[in-house]
Amino acid sequence: MSSQSVLDVVQLHKSFVLHNIDGRRVDALTGVDLHVNVGEHVALAGSSGAGKSSLLKCIYRTYTPTSGDVILTDTDGTRLALSALGEREMVMVRGRRLGYVSQFLRAQPRRTPMDIVTAAGILRGTDVTTARVLAMEALDRLRLDKGLWDVHTSVLSGGERQRVNLAAGTISPPRLLLLDEPVSALDPANRTAALDVIADLSAQGVAVLSVFHDLEAMERLASRIVVMRDGRIESDGPPIEILSTLRAVAR
Amino acid sequence: MSTVRDLVATRRDNAVMDAGAVRAIRRAILTAIAVPGYQVPFGSREMPVARGWGSGGLQVTMALVGSADVVKVIDQGDDEGVNAVNLRRLILRASGATETDDVSESTIVQTRHRIPEAGMVDGQILVLQVPEPEPLRGVERDTRELERMHAEADYAKMWVSLYEDRVRNGMITRTTGYPCVVAGRYVISTTPIPRWDVPALHRAPYLALFGAGRAKRIYAIPPDTTVEPMTFEDVPFEVEFTPGARCRHCGSDDSYLVSTPREEGGETWACSDTSWCRARRHQRGAQ
Amino acid sequence: MTNITPVAPTLAVVGLGHAYGGIDDTTIAETGPAAGTSKHARTGTVVAAWDVSFDVAGGEALGVIGESGSGKSTVMKSIAGDIMPTTGRVTLQRGDGTTAVITEMSPAEIRALRVNDLSIVHQNPADGLDLRITAGGNIADRLTAAGWRNFAAIRERAAELLTRTEVPLDRMDDPVGSFSGGMRQRVQLAKALANTPSVVLLDEPTTGLDASIAAGVLDLIRGLLDEFGLAAVVVSHDFSVIEMLTQRCVVMQHGRVVEHGLTDQLLEDPAHPYSQRLVGAARA
Repeated sequence: MSSQSVLDVVQLHKSFVLHNIDGRRVDALTGVDLHVNVGEHVALAGSSGAGKSSLLKCIYRTYTPTSGDVILTDTDGTRLALSALGEREMVMVRGRRLGYVSQFLRAQPRRTPMDIVTAAGILRGTDVTTARVLAMEALDRLRLDKGLWDVHTSVLSGGERQRVNLAAGTISPPRLLLLDEPVSALDPANRTAALDVIADLSAQGVAVLSVFHDLEAMERLASRIVVMRDGRIESDGPPIEILSTLRAVAR
Repeated sequence: MSTVRDLVATRRDNAVMDAGAVRAIRRAILTAIAVPGYQVPFGSREMPVARGWGSGGLQVTMALVGSADVVKVIDQGDDEGVNAVNLRRLILRASGATETDDVSESTIVQTRHRIPEAGMVDGQILVLQVPEPEPLRGVERDTRELERMHAEADYAKMWVSLYEDRVRNGMITRTTGYPCVVAGRYVISTTPIPRWDVPALHRAPYLALFGAGRAKRIYAIPPDTTVEPMTFEDVPFEVEFTPGARCRHCGSDDSYLVSTPREEGGETWACSDTSWCRARRHQRGAQ
Repeated sequence: MTNITPVAPTLAVVGLGHAYGGIDDTTIAETGPAAGTSKHARTGTVVAAWDVSFDVAGGEALGVIGESGSGKSTVMKSIAGDIMPTTGRVTLQRGDGTTAVITEMSPAEIRALRVNDLSIVHQNPADGLDLRITAGGNIADRLTAAGWRNFAAIRERAAELLTRTEVPLDRMDDPVGSFSGGMRQRVQLAKALANTPSVVLLDEPTTGLDASIAAGVLDLIRGLLDEFGLAAVVVSHDFSVIEMLTQRCVVMQHGRVVEHGLTDQLLEDPAHPYSQRLVGAARA
């Protein structure tokens, strides 16, 4: 891979052994090879159950890979084998280098959007004052009503929470950001704003690996689209090419 | 009877205690002097007075006293209190010592509830009758835990009780037996003297011995030992004081006064230390 | 710069084991998850915990999950110095940079450690508080034990801590026995933080509280862990507590650690049959 490589996934396998359902084995990933470069936005496509989310979770170590390597190359060229990293080291990597934005906000109900987004900035090494400024910018760009910045997230709607989640995920962005359906609950206007924020990440050199359920988002954001099927990569190419195939299949 | 050498010296039986008992109590006293403020267990004997009536103080005095001693015994500051009279009679008969009500003449002063107003000097011994020697009794019941707290100088619970007292009552309400730190180490109960007398114990020139007959404990404050009332830095230790109160006999307003209700209402005050009061009156009469 | 060398752990548990009764190779081999019990059939020895190792750094919270009898209490008691384990070593980095070897300390040293460096928040507030004395008095207990002697300063510090743990200041001079369960837990937290310890053990800190009250207390704990940079060990049978408070955890069964991992990984991809059963039951 070139020196611009951020993520290298090599022959990644993931199987679940369900000990309490007669030891059944379920294969989620069956040998995935994938590379993501600096500033690249790679969108994962494929039907549900194809292994897109499993791949993101294996990279983030929410799932423990069964075999294969996940390597994150840091700014100075250090290659971190995430799949083999100790737990505390992994917690540290998750702080500054690797981010994950899921469909749902996972935060304590009694914290405010401002707190949550500021804390995310601090976690990635930004000082408190700067983090507050960046948090305000992020919430503003994602069009969260100012009147909601200091209320508990428990009173927010699904769409509002999703924007808080995205603001927290993109403030002082990490080197590699994993996005799993981050705009699924947004109405068109807010969705456009959110996609703009994500597009900017690529301009800042952040490597993004994403899962979107709609082709428009991929078209707007992806520099490359990887199609998965049955736990492995089926095709990998420029968006125009892949999207036309996908649209043809959809029709 | 004034030095450790005297204590170590042998002494024959007296009519109340045999030589063995005297030796055992002296041993406890010597230990108590060596570890100021530490409650030394001793084998409390049956005394001709009931436990709780000064048997601890009596045993300490009987272990010390000889025919050459001059003994003063007071109860609540009064040489003529019933308990004082009985104990004094017993001590004199058993030891052949002579009696006095003048502090300056005495070699041993046995007391309940008071320290004589007239200052005592180096060489004299103050023996206090103690009903409850354990200063932490109010904050901890478990005996082993009490021992541990003393052993580790862990007095946090006492501090908390002082904190609570002040929070709930706006002041420290504890009157007698105020807890004090002896020689910067052990907390003792200055039982049962009033707060008024506590400052007198600090760096006192004489030996103070505390005897508790029922609890079988002896503790000591050797001469010139620091005795610091437990109090917060910003909450000064205060002694009892009633503005305007004066002794109706001698006119004193700087001695420990006790009040008596008047038939017509209100109260009158008098010195608790009767011999000191009498001496003051004579002095003033002579002038 | 790439530096993912973690800071030195504040609390380290190494090869901890505790057995009630005699042990030899067979007692260890014939107890544990594989044997399905921590009690040795032939000798009756109970291997309450064996071969338990983990560490926690400042600013980090580690969860210990397990049912009753899993050995988590034994591990907690060993860290707290309440029991002297049969084998293994527990060390704690004090705030002043010195190292305390808890498994080699005298009871008096343990007590001093518990005043200054190691706090425990008990499931039952009555175990950590004197319910007869005031909220302020309970905090004063910790402060005076650490040498505080200024009444005004003690009041100020107690008020500061109670404010931080969201106890109304007009309750500061009320006996803790008059408080609700959630409020008692907040006082316990205030007391635990009084002398800014480097390690705090949270033993089922919200079990027994109503769900809505528990959520508030959990939220408070989460904030305090972040703010004070404490190394925390959270013992709980409740996954929502573990999920909210910890980044890493260990799962214990029959006295052994059967699985350890990142908390989200243990909840979403548990590998050990027992972990899978626990998670399955919790998610059901």
